[in-house]
Amino acid sequence: MGLTEDRERFREVGETRRADLAEFISHGDLGGSGADRIRIPIKLVDLPAFEYDQRSAGGVGQGGDGQPQPGQPVDPEPGDGDEAGDPGEEGGDHEYYEMDPEEFARELDEALGLDLEPKGKQVIEEVEGDFTDTARAGPRGTLDVDEFFKRGLKRHLATDFDGAYVREGLFVDGADVDDVFAWARDEGVPVSRAWIADAAATLADERGEPVAALDRWESFEALDDGVDHEPVTHRIRREGLDSVPFRSEDERFRHPEVIEKRERNVVVINVRDASGSMRETKRELVERVFTPMDWYLTGKYDAAEFRYVVHDAEAWEVDREEFFGIQSGGGTRISSAYELVEELLEEYPYSEWNRYVFAAGDSENAGSDTTNNVIPLMESIDANLHAYVETQPGDGAANARHADEVESAFGDADDVAVARVSEPDDVTDAIYEILSTESDGGGSAPAGTTAARRTDGGERR
Amino acid sequence: MRDDRIEAKREADALDEPAEEARELAERLGLEPYPVRYWVVDHDQMNELIAYGGFQRRYPHWRWGMNYERQRKKDRHGLGKAFEIVNNDDPAHAFLQESNAAADQKAVITHVEAHADFFANNEWFGLYADRGEGGPNAAARLERNADRIAAIAKRADVDRDEVERLIDAVSALEDTIDQHSPVDAARSVEEPGIADDVSGDGDDALDAIEARIDDLDLSEEVRRDVFDDEWLEARGEGVEPEEPRPDVLAFLRDHGRRYDPDSGKAVDREPWETTVVDAIREEAYYFAGQKQTKVMNEGWATYWESLMMGGEGFAGEDEFLTYADHMSRVLGSPGLNPYKLGFELWTHVELRAARREVIDKLLRVDGVTPENFHSRIDLDEVATLLEPHPAVAGAGPATLDELADLAADGDPRVDAEAVDRALSARREDGDGASADGEEIDVERYPWKLLTREGLAERHYVLSRPEHRGALRNVSRETLEEQARYLFDVDRYATVAEAIADVDRAAGWERMFEVRESHNDVTFIDAFLTDEFVREGNYFTYEYSRAAEEHRVASVDADDVRKKLLLRFTNFGKPTIVVLDGNFRNRGELLIGHRYNGVALDEERAKATLKRVFELWGRPVNLATIRVEYDDGAVRRAKRRGEEPEGTEVGVRFQYDGGEVTEHDLDESIRERITADEVDYDTKPDDWLA
Repeated sequence: MGLTEDRERFREVGETRRADLAEFISHGDLGGSGADRIRIPIKLVDLPAFEYDQRSAGGVGQGGDGQPQPGQPVDPEPGDGDEAGDPGEEGGDHEYYEMDPEEFARELDEALGLDLEPKGKQVIEEVEGDFTDTARAGPRGTLDVDEFFKRGLKRHLATDFDGAYVREGLFVDGADVDDVFAWARDEGVPVSRAWIADAAATLADERGEPVAALDRWESFEALDDGVDHEPVTHRIRREGLDSVPFRSEDERFRHPEVIEKRERNVVVINVRDASGSMRETKRELVERVFTPMDWYLTGKYDAAEFRYVVHDAEAWEVDREEFFGIQSGGGTRISSAYELVEELLEEYPYSEWNRYVFAAGDSENAGSDTTNNVIPLMESIDANLHAYVETQPGDGAANARHADEVESAFGDADDVAVARVSEPDDVTDAIYEILSTESDGGGSAPAGTTAARRTDGGERR
Repeated sequence: MRDDRIEAKREADALDEPAEEARELAERLGLEPYPVRYWVVDHDQMNELIAYGGFQRRYPHWRWGMNYERQRKKDRHGLGKAFEIVNNDDPAHAFLQESNAAADQKAVITHVEAHADFFANNEWFGLYADRGEGGPNAAARLERNADRIAAIAKRADVDRDEVERLIDAVSALEDTIDQHSPVDAARSVEEPGIADDVSGDGDDALDAIEARIDDLDLSEEVRRDVFDDEWLEARGEGVEPEEPRPDVLAFLRDHGRRYDPDSGKAVDREPWETTVVDAIREEAYYFAGQKQTKVMNEGWATYWESLMMGGEGFAGEDEFLTYADHMSRVLGSPGLNPYKLGFELWTHVELRAARREVIDKLLRVDGVTPENFHSRIDLDEVATLLEPHPAVAGAGPATLDELADLAADGDPRVDAEAVDRALSARREDGDGASADGEEIDVERYPWKLLTREGLAERHYVLSRPEHRGALRNVSRETLEEQARYLFDVDRYATVAEAIADVDRAAGWERMFEVRESHNDVTFIDAFLTDEFVREGNYFTYEYSRAAEEHRVASVDADDVRKKLLLRFTNFGKPTIVVLDGNFRNRGELLIGHRYNGVALDEERAKATLKRVFELWGRPVNLATIRVEYDDGAVRRAKRRGEEPEGTEVGVRFQYDGGEVTEHDLDESIRERITADEVDYDTKPDDWLA
């Protein structure tokens, strides 16, 4: 129907006017989106028209109780003209375009030039494919008649032979049963010795003398020259097939092919420093980086699980709702978080799960905790990717060296990414930095191919 | 429409009776609606219909898709469920939402009947409807356009994007038509710059138009603004060449070309392009009637809905609360609400006419003059006398005998035949016999016992509790003015005698006249009185450059009216006219914004100018005036707590396919676009003090 088409056209037109995804991620309102719907604001595509300037035009309102006094400030009524004070912005109205995480992931791939291919890990089920496999047993109804006949025919061809021809062998001068058998086998005739012995006995009875005495042929060579050996297939073609021996061992039953389906699972552990130095803006930056990455991975994998860990000197697990808001007063010991991460990840064996550990903080850490504890832990925790997002670097004290230390310890390792975010504009670079770094998890791909795609997006400012 | 769905069908069956009864009641009240076909649709179909502006098929365009998405979201989030949509056609088609509660369905039906009456009887709708032989025939026309344009878009030699682009361009200009003319009258023009859209032959036509405008009872100011000399002249003979033409779209259709990027020249349009332009322009004329009468039309429908549902108990007792709740939500929604504004204005029209009628009679009572009116006349007595007859007010099974007595005396308020039938039905019931055939359900539809006159008395505006003070408030000036035209004074000996002569239907009569000839602009101008502004707490607001925010500017009725008129005149859009089709002798187009003190939204204007270029094919120019404020003046004004004085500067925007450029405006052109004396600014002098 026409409207469907019109909607598609609108999508196409609307598409180009959609607020740029990157802009949305770094500045937009992340609220209102859920795990299954992501709300991206779109501009309404309004056709322009000759219109009055809203400020110049003024308007009429209606007082609730009593007439207002001239001079009293007033909000232009809602829906009356533009969203006040944005003159010049063509159609300043916003609506939301909803996309699911898969679409979001696709768009982000496109926007950032990513190509993360999720890996299947856990075999979750064996699904039945087409009935293309056969087995020796099965319900009668699935008997593969074609196959049954073919096998029977093959058997027939394999066992059938020209009896007259073999029998002729007995007429060779001096040949006994063993000679004939050897000759027949040489000729490739599938005959048994017993059959020849039988035939010889019958012949001896008929002639009244042992077969060795029969001398129609001087030798087997003379026989071969004198008699044409007709292959069975020719005979069948000539005489037709009277019967095919059906035997139960020829029965084949069709059954579905078993396809192993691997679910592409991902577990993401978001870790955040909640210590006193993590102020509002830093927390917001963390949310801006983590939330789109969560959406992205949700869209990329069949099943995604998220766990949230916050820490100061201690670490504890929280719900998503609390995760971005919590602030505690304590000091910082990042290793406490990784200890908890290690514990949590035991539930998700690396052989079955893709694991991502995303940590964020302002790089402050206690003493030499990073070198002594965190780095060994990061090395020992298997994961597709360990990432550390440093928010507002340079803002903190001299001990804010966590990111640097991690970076120098792992260098260009393809399963560790460090990104630095000091303002919303850095967010998309950071996301790219992180998502474009990834260990393949199985170690089979040539190392460095993904790491080579890294950019220096999150440079220090 | 799919009506094979069982739910919908059951719902539709249940609505047959209310629809029939509503029609009967509407007609008894004096409405003359087009026949209405009712359809019950599910919410998705409803969203589609709304997206398409009330029709089932429209030409292919992404805008409908956008409308649909928007409406669907509103629907889903409960922000704007649509109860019904009805289109202006003969017969009208009304689509009712399947999920409406029973009370809503009835309310919607009464509402729709009133809309259908408005469509059929309002002259501004008539401008379009009278074109066709069989009435508006809108659905068929829109469908034909849909087919044509769809066929064009499918053609192998036509790029679909081009079609849509063209539709975009024309749609951006859909309000730059001559809304006061029927679509065809504004057609043929021979030469660029020469208006020749004469609708009749010569002076007669002009006189007729002037006479009609006089009938509208407008203030001089509005008359000048809406039906200015140019407008009139454009309809008469002796039109000056280069007279500004308001139907920009027609001009572009007739003389526009297409820019061919390959050759860098303007080339003639393909025939299909003209077909598209024509189709969209025609539809703009169809929808113009709707846009021009939004307040009146919604107010009219709300008025009659409220009378039928509330006043006549068309909602059952169990349904009344749902109905009342929805009605209050419709009327209570914030901002300038056309339902509410219209409803209040209509009630005001009724009230004024009814009061005038009473005063007219009272001033003829022996010895009563404007001067002694308030002292000589006991208004409480008047109020009592005006009370409807108890049997009329309480018409129903209980008053049947009384009504029968009245009928026996030939009382015009009673439908004698109906009363008779009701009586005999009652007798048969008493005898245990079943009533035959056309039984009247007096319990549910008591109005069947009354004539229009009876109903007018039953719903008499001055007897409604909220309007009892209306007579007391009448001023001596009003009385004097009315007395001036009175003949035949001292006709009645007593007040009672005078009141007995009062025509209770006078309010309705006036309403029916007004609904025939007015549009929103004239309606607001004529009936938005001081009293109305005061009672409704209406005010104007303006943007203060010194305070950098909007402030309440005025509570004066004239100011409020002025501002409202700005919002409704020319669809609330600035008036754009064609000034020259051969500007600078280079085949450029010059259009002008008739500057009335309110500036253009320049960004949007520039974007629109680019669309004009698509339809002209050669460079296009837009003349306008803007107000510039220099920073120093604003700073000084802020210090003094005043508004800065701006300077009006003429500007010409030019677009030739590259960038929009800005130029100084020729003084002679500036003179042609400056509207005289109209001032929409309502800022008081000592505003910020």
